[in-house]
Amino acid sequence: MNGIASQAPPRPRGMRSLLVQSAWIHRRDRKGFWFVAPFLAAFLIFMLAPLGYAVYTSLYTTRIIGGTVFSGAANYTQTLQSGEFWSGVIRVVIFAAIQIPVMLAIAFFFATIFDLGVAKYGTFFRTVFFIPFAVPAVVGAVMWSFLLEPQFGPFVHFANGIGLHDVNFFSTNLILPSIIVIVIWEWTGYNMLILYTALRSVPRDVIEAAILDDTPLWKIILRVKLPMVRPAIVLLVFINTIGALQLFTEPLILAYFQNQAISINFTPTLYIYNTAIAGQQYNLAAAAAVILGLVIVVISVSSLVFRRRRSEVS
Amino acid sequence: MNVTSLRHRPAPRGPRFTAGRTVAGLAGVAAASLLAAACGTSGPSSSAPPSSSAKASASASASASVLVSCKSSTATKITFWAWVPGIARAVTAFNNSHPSICVTLEDVGAGSPQYVAITDALKAGTGAPDVAEVEFDELPSFEITHDVLNLVPYGANKYKSDFVPWAWQEVSQGSAVYAMPGDAGPMAFYYNSALLAKYHITPPTTYAQFATAAAALKKADPSAYITNFSATDLQWVLSLMAQDNAWPFTYTGGSKVGINWTGAAQTAFANYWQNLINAKEVNGTTDVSATSFADMDKGIDASWLSSAWGPSYFAPDAKATVGDWRAAALPQWTAGANVAANWGGSTYPVFKQSAHPAAAAEFSEWLNATDASWNITKTAPSSLFPTYLPLLNSSSYKDITVPISGSSHPDQAFTAAASSIKGVPWPPFMTEALTQANTVFAGVLDGKTTLLQAFKNFQNVLVSYAKAQGFTVSG
Repeated sequence: MNGIASQAPPRPRGMRSLLVQSAWIHRRDRKGFWFVAPFLAAFLIFMLAPLGYAVYTSLYTTRIIGGTVFSGAANYTQTLQSGEFWSGVIRVVIFAAIQIPVMLAIAFFFATIFDLGVAKYGTFFRTVFFIPFAVPAVVGAVMWSFLLEPQFGPFVHFANGIGLHDVNFFSTNLILPSIIVIVIWEWTGYNMLILYTALRSVPRDVIEAAILDDTPLWKIILRVKLPMVRPAIVLLVFINTIGALQLFTEPLILAYFQNQAISINFTPTLYIYNTAIAGQQYNLAAAAAVILGLVIVVISVSSLVFRRRRSEVS
Repeated sequence: MNVTSLRHRPAPRGPRFTAGRTVAGLAGVAAASLLAAACGTSGPSSSAPPSSSAKASASASASASVLVSCKSSTATKITFWAWVPGIARAVTAFNNSHPSICVTLEDVGAGSPQYVAITDALKAGTGAPDVAEVEFDELPSFEITHDVLNLVPYGANKYKSDFVPWAWQEVSQGSAVYAMPGDAGPMAFYYNSALLAKYHITPPTTYAQFATAAAALKKADPSAYITNFSATDLQWVLSLMAQDNAWPFTYTGGSKVGINWTGAAQTAFANYWQNLINAKEVNGTTDVSATSFADMDKGIDASWLSSAWGPSYFAPDAKATVGDWRAAALPQWTAGANVAANWGGSTYPVFKQSAHPAAAAEFSEWLNATDASWNITKTAPSSLFPTYLPLLNSSSYKDITVPISGSSHPDQAFTAAASSIKGVPWPPFMTEALTQANTVFAGVLDGKTTLLQAFKNFQNVLVSYAKAQGFTVSG
C-alpha cells in the first residue's frame, strides 16, 4: 500500500485560483456544517453542558440543614486533602502498573502469532479472541463473579482440586488480582487487534531483508517488528491508563457479591459515585469528578506531546 | 420456587448489596425472571388489558414493575412504589373495593435505588410517588426534608391502638405521624436444637450464659461456633445494640443529632463481642448469605440471632438440619429481663408532592391497618410479619408450623418479641451510614481491626458527615 498515490496532485497556487478555492471551501463548509450539526448538538447537550454543570455544581455546597450555599473552592480543597480519594487513585495506579504490561504482552504474543500466519483458521480465532470485548462489561463482570464465587465457583473448586484450600478470590488480598484478571480477559482481544493491524502494516520488504540476512525469527519479532509497532504500543499504554483511572463497572459488580472487599473508595470513580448517590453530596462528588477529569486531561496531553516529540503523530 | 416463600427483610443497601443477599438474590431474580418468561407473563406494559394484573402479580417476585388498570376512568389516580413481592395482590384488592381510587403499583427497585429515585424526583419537584414503601430507618431522612405528609389530619391516629407501640413511635415525631407502619422483623435466638443437645448445651437465656455456651461448644467441637457475628451488617449490629441499651444515636427531629459509638455502653457491647471473636467462638461471615446458611446447615453455626423473616430465607438452604431449628427469646443482658429487638421492616408514607393526599392516605391506611389487606400480605410471596396487633395477637398466626422447625411453633417467639421491642430514634442519614459501614467494619470480619476500633472510626466518619451536612452534633 502506498498512501501517497491516493492523494490529489498539488493545485496551482495562483492568486485567482486561491480565491476561487477559498470561496468554494466556504460554500462547502456551509453545507458541511449541516452534516456535523447533529453531532455538535449532541456534543453540546450531552458533553459540554453536563461538564459545565458539573463545574458549576462543584462550586456550591448543599447541606441537609442549611440548604445550598456558594462555597467556592471548598469542595476542591476537601477532595485534594481527602485520603479516601487519593487511596483510590493509588489503587488504580497499582492496578494499571500490573494489568497494562501483562495484557499488552499477551496481546502482542497473539498478534504476532496471527501475523505470522502460522495458526490455522486465523480469522476465526481472531474473532473468538475479540469476543470478550464485545461482551458488555457488566455481563462480563457478573459472569466472572459467578466463576470466582467462593461457595459454588468452579475456580475455587479447581483450586481445591490442585491442593490450594480456602482460596477466596473475593478476599481483600485477592480482589485486586481478580479484577486484573477480569479486565485482561475483557480487553486483550481489542489490544491484540490493534497490534495485529500495526504488525500487518510493517513493510514486507523490511521483513524479507531480515529473512535474507538469516535473522532468527525471534530477532525479527523482537528487534524488527516490535520497534516498528512501538507507536501503537505507546498509544495503547495511554488509552489503557486512562481506562484504568476510570475503573468502575468491574468492582461495582463484584461488590454485589462481596461488599466488604470493595471499599466505597476502591477506585476514584466509585468514590465519586458513592459520595453522590449514598452520601447525597453531589457537590463534593462533582469536585472530585472535575479533579479526576483534569488528571486524565493531563495524561492525554502528555501522551500527545510525547508522541509528537517522537513524530508519531502530526 | 424459593423466592415465593421469602419473608420480607431489609432491602439491600447502597450501591453495594450485602454480599450473600446478592448471590442468593441474583440467582433468585434470574430464576424468577426465567419463571416469568416461561409463564409468558410480561412485566411492565402500558397496553396491558385489565385481566393482566392478576398474571402480573404472579410474576411480581421478579423485580418488574406492575401496572394495575383502573376500574373507572374518573377514579383518582395514585402511584405507589414498593418492592415487596406479591404486594400487587393487595393493590388489586384495594382497587376492587375502592372504585373511586385507582392505585398504580411500580417497582423501581428494592431499597436504595428506590430512595435515590424518590430523592431525585423530590428535588425535581415532580415525579415522586404518592405513597411508597420506606424502611423504618430511612423514614427520618424524608421527614427532615419535609417531604412526607403528617397523616394525623387524614385520620391516622384512630389506628394507633392497632399497632405495637414501638412501631407507632418510630413513625411519629411529636404529635405528627409521618407514615403508617407496615411489617417488622422482631428478633429471636434461632438455634439448632439437635446440635446443642448433642453437646448438652442448654439454650442460653442471658448473654453471660451465651458466652459460656460459646466456650463449651468450641471445646466440644473446635469446628463449631455458637453463632455468626456479621460486623458489616450495620442494621443487624444496631438491632443488637438497641437490645443492649447501647443505641448510638439520639434524634428528635430538627438539626441536632447525637452520635455516640464510643460511650460506656457501646464500648461494653463491642468488648463483649470482640472477646468472642478473639476466642474464635463466633464465626465471621456475611449474614443472610449462601455461606452463612451453609454453615448453619453443616452444624458449623449453632444459632442465628435472627429476625422473624430469617427462617424463610434459610429454609431453602436447609437440608441436613430440617426439623432441628427452634426459636426462643433473645438472650438477655440482665437475667430475668425481657427485652427484644427489631431488624428490618417498612413504613408507608404519603409524599407532599402528592396531588391527592387524602386518597393516598386512605390507601396507606387500608394497606397497613385492615384485616383485608393483612390477610393477603401475610401469605407468600409477600409473607410480611405484622406490626398490626389484631393479626399479631391471633393464635392461628402464632401457631403456624414449618418443616424446618418440626412440630414447634417458631412464630411464638417472634410474636412475643414483637411486643417487647423498644423503639429507636433513627438518624436522618442512614443511607450514608449503611454505605460507610461496609468499608469501616470490613476489617472486623477478617481480623484486621477490632470491633471497638471500628466503632471509633465509625464515630469519626459519621460525625464529620453530620457536621458537613449542617447538623449540630453532640455525643
